[in-house]
This record gives sequence, C-alpha cells and structure tokens, in this order.
Amino acid sequence: MSYYLGLAQLIGIHTLLGLSAYVLMLTGQLSLGQAGFFAIGAYSAGILTVIFELPILPALLAAAVIAAFFAFIVGFPALRVKGLMLVVATIAFGEFVRLFFFNLSWRVPRGDIEVGPDSTNGFREIRYFVANGWSPWEITAFVWTFVILVMAALWWMDRSRAGAVLRAVGEDELATQSVGINLTAVKVAAMTAGGFIAGIGGALYAHTATYIDHLTFTVLLATFAVSYPILGGLSSVFGTLVAVVFIQGVLVEELRFLGDWRNIVFGLLIIMAMNLKPSGLFDARTAQVLKRAVGLGGGEKSDA
Amino acid sequence: MSDFLLEFVEITQTIGDGLFFGTTYALIGIGFSLIFGAMRKLNMTYAAAALAGAYVGLAAFTFVNAPAPVVFLISALASGLIGGAVYITCFRFIPISNHLAALMASIGALFFIDEIVVHTTDGSPLTFPALFDDVMLELGPYGIRSDLLFVLAVNIVSTIGLIYVLYRTRLGLATRAVSQQDVAAQLCGIDVHRTNAITFVLAGLIGGIAGSMTASAVGVLSPLITVPLTVKGLIVSVIGGLGSIPGAIAAGLLVGGLENAFLYFRGVNERDMYVLLLLFVFLVFRPDGLFGSAVDRD
Repeated sequence: MSYYLGLAQLIGIHTLLGLSAYVLMLTGQLSLGQAGFFAIGAYSAGILTVIFELPILPALLAAAVIAAFFAFIVGFPALRVKGLMLVVATIAFGEFVRLFFFNLSWRVPRGDIEVGPDSTNGFREIRYFVANGWSPWEITAFVWTFVILVMAALWWMDRSRAGAVLRAVGEDELATQSVGINLTAVKVAAMTAGGFIAGIGGALYAHTATYIDHLTFTVLLATFAVSYPILGGLSSVFGTLVAVVFIQGVLVEELRFLGDWRNIVFGLLIIMAMNLKPSGLFDARTAQVLKRAVGLGGGEKSDA
Repeated sequence: MSDFLLEFVEITQTIGDGLFFGTTYALIGIGFSLIFGAMRKLNMTYAAAALAGAYVGLAAFTFVNAPAPVVFLISALASGLIGGAVYITCFRFIPISNHLAALMASIGALFFIDEIVVHTTDGSPLTFPALFDDVMLELGPYGIRSDLLFVLAVNIVSTIGLIYVLYRTRLGLATRAVSQQDVAAQLCGIDVHRTNAITFVLAGLIGGIAGSMTASAVGVLSPLITVPLTVKGLIVSVIGGLGSIPGAIAAGLLVGGLENAFLYFRGVNERDMYVLLLLFVFLVFRPDGLFGSAVDRD
C-alpha cells in the first residue's frame, strides 16, 4: 500500500511541477528553468525545517515565496527576450541553480551530528515527517491538499479576467498590447506564479524524499515539467494532471521491466507526440471526443 | 622572474589554452547558428549528435584500431548522418510555424541519443585518441600543447571550409536563400526541405569535428559532457547573436578564454556558474548578442 501512496505523492508533486510550467505556457512562453525553481523550493524548505527548525507549513510557504521571488528576478532579463531565446535563458538559469547547490555547503551541528546541505554529498537530513510521526496517509493527504488548492486556484483564474489576459498574450501579443495590456507585467506575473507553484512542489518533494542533491534538478526534470502541459494540452489544468498520471503512473510504472531504458521511451514519446499532435495529445478536440465517448459531452457546457 | 611576472605568465597561459579550446565552442555555436539561420528553430539535439558522432569514431578506434585521423573523419560523417536523421524525425514533418513543437521533439531526441550512449558505454568515460599529444612546444615562458594546436588548426580549417561552402557554392547560395526568405527561395525552384536537410547534415559534419576535437583535447569522451556542451553551445550562439557565424566564432573564443580565467581564479566547481552568468549579463545589456540584429530575434 505504501508503494501506491508513494506513487500518489510523486504524481501530486509532478502535477505541481507541470502546472508551474503550464501558467507560463498560457502566455505562449516556454521555460526550461522550472527545475531551478523546484530546486530553490526544495532546498529552502529543507533548510528552514532542518536548520531553523520551523514547522512544515510556514517553511513550505516561505520556500514558495523565495522561489517566486527568484522567478520574479529572473523574469525581467529573461522576458526581455522571448520564444527560443527565453528557452536558452531559462536552461542557463536552471543549470546555474543546480551548480549553486552543487557548491552550497551549510552544515550546522545538531546533537552529535551535523545537518544541512553538504554540496556534492547532497542534503540528507530532511526528516520532518518522520520526526513528527506522520503516517504515509497523512503525508499523501498533505501533498494532495496543495495540488487541489493550486489546481482550483488555476481553474478559477482561467475563468477570470487574469486567465483571459494570459491567454490573450499567448494568442497574439501585438493585439493584446494594442488594447493597453503591459506584456512584460503579464509575463513576469505568470513567471512569478509559476515559480511559486514550483516552489511548493519542490518543498513537498524535499520532505517526501528526505534526501535531495543537485543531480535531481537537471534539464531532464525541467523537460518533464514542460512535457506534462505540452502532452496534456493547454485547454485546462486537468490536461496536465492526465499527462502526469499517464507518464508517471502508466508509462514509468508499466515500463518498469525495461529498467533504465525507460528514459529512451520518454524521448521517443515526445518525438512521436510532437510529430503527430504538435499542439498536445489531449488538446481541446481530443477532450471533446473523449467526453462524448464516456457520455459526458451532452450535459456539460463546451469550453470552446 | 618576480612573483607578479610568474603569475602573469600563468594567467595568460591559462587564457591562451582557453582560447584554443574556445574554437571548439565556436564550432558548436556555428552549428546552432546555421540551423537557426536556416529554419529559425533551435536544434537541441545538436551537441548530443556531435558527441554521438565522436562515439561512433571511438568505436572504430576501439574495434578495428583505426588511426586518429580516420577516427575524426568517421566522427564527422556519423554526426552528419545523425544530423540528417534528426531533421527527418524532429523538423521535417512539424509545421514550420510551430517553433516549440520542433524544439520539444529535438529535446526528446537529445535524451534518446544520450540514453543510447549511456547504455552502450555504461556511462563511464572512455579514452579518446589524439594527435601529437606527446609534443610540447616551448615559446619563451609559454608551453603550447601541440594536440591543442592541432585542434585549433582543424577547427580553423573546418570553419574556413564551411564559409567557403556557404558563400562560394550553389549549395551555399541555396542555403542562404532559404534562410533569408524561404517562400521566395521556393518560388525560385529551390527545394526547401532538401536544402534544410543538407544544412542539417552540414551542421552535423561540423558538430562531429567539434565533438571529436573536444574529446581529443580533453582526452576522454563521457556522456556527462552532453548537457554542458549543449548549454555552452547555446550560450555561444546567443552571445554571438543567434544566426550569426562571425558572432559565434567571436563568442566561442570569448567563452573559452573567460572559462579558463574563471577556472584559474575560482576553481573548477564554480567555473560554469560564471559562464552562465555571462549569458545573463548579455541578456540584460545586449540581448541581440555581439553581431546579431534585432530583427532576427524571436
């Protein structure tokens, strides 16, 4: 059972990671730096609970705010450029963060041992859940509380003016600008929101994994982050969730017999998906077809 | 000699070695720029394909004991072939207006190639042959590694060769025509897909040379350098101005020299952080790069 709970936690955390990329993708921009914000969230939350001995909730929120702050700072220079240049800038940012934590050593004595990030050896002592006797059920519920909160917030945002503005920027920047919307402000806001969500995801990851090191937060993780909304399509937040369940739950689990060759399948999957359905596997049309197939299409109002 | 002078010699020696090595970054940057110039798209697989080509060359070295020049040649040809295959799988059938889909497909191909390399080599670094690595030239207080000199020579010759192909042959004319205005080029009877495919193969050849030269300068070939080489190639092409070949050459030398300066002053663990910061300095103060034009940027 605990194995499936672990999988549920992983799916929840990867959903947050995917949603952090989703927000920025609504504005038509692709960031391959989400692993960097995720890492900032993970290390910040770990440092706050381990070195400063804060409870999990304030640590998690503080970590999310720190990640959002860095997203805001990076947003300005990075969003002066757009499209492919932004991709390069965010890859560079993600690698920079990874190398920063590769070099970060901050050990403090705690009883007989030292705790804290230990550069290449990683950060090993993030034991808040264990130390406070949380059961796997409670941890899973805790993770999914945040997933549901974030998904609800984004779902609500999509139906408000903010969502319309984000999508307008993604559809046509020139037209959006000509009705008096500040493009940079919108994109930096989306980047900051993405950083906040990735920060929550990272904080939860650090505490469920209890051990983090710089090798977790590579370009591969950033690629996973953008693959979820790309494969799931941008028509709603549920696309991202479906894509995470499909990749982490079905693909990675079912292909366990392939062992280490699974990443090859991931690479092939992206290539195939992009060739066959460049706008996402579960785009608006597929969603309609699926809804009709399971008999939900009649009663629901169409998104399009 | 005074301490100050000794240190000066040491610093200039380090930066000089970096400049030699920077020609390899310049080649990788040129490859990214060629493809960006032709299609306004980024081929993220490029550096991985370059190293995969070097691995094919290394296989020839390991199994039939091919001499070093043959190894380099096979590396270039293999990387060219992989470049063509990447064009077909990741660019040919994806709508030209969809930049991000092609980008994602090529990232998928990057992990695909990387994983194949990791699995066939068990992820461990392998020795790569070099030419003249036992000779050291003395020039006053400076020592020049002649294997690096050979790398420099090969890189310069291949850059000149590429510029010749681009500016003095009908093939290059077609490539430049497609990069300037693909619709007009098509109306003139140029087969855009064929020209793009040839550009990918050409860039692949250059990449294979860069890959094998990197490996022979470092002495080993390891899958660990795929992502750093990709990132540095991207940084070089952005700093130089995306799509600009002279820019990529200048930026390659700049990054190579500065990288070794950072190595000297801050050590190997922090070196790459400063190279990445350099990119942000350029993004803030000169987002079009050294030689880029604002029109090309997207």
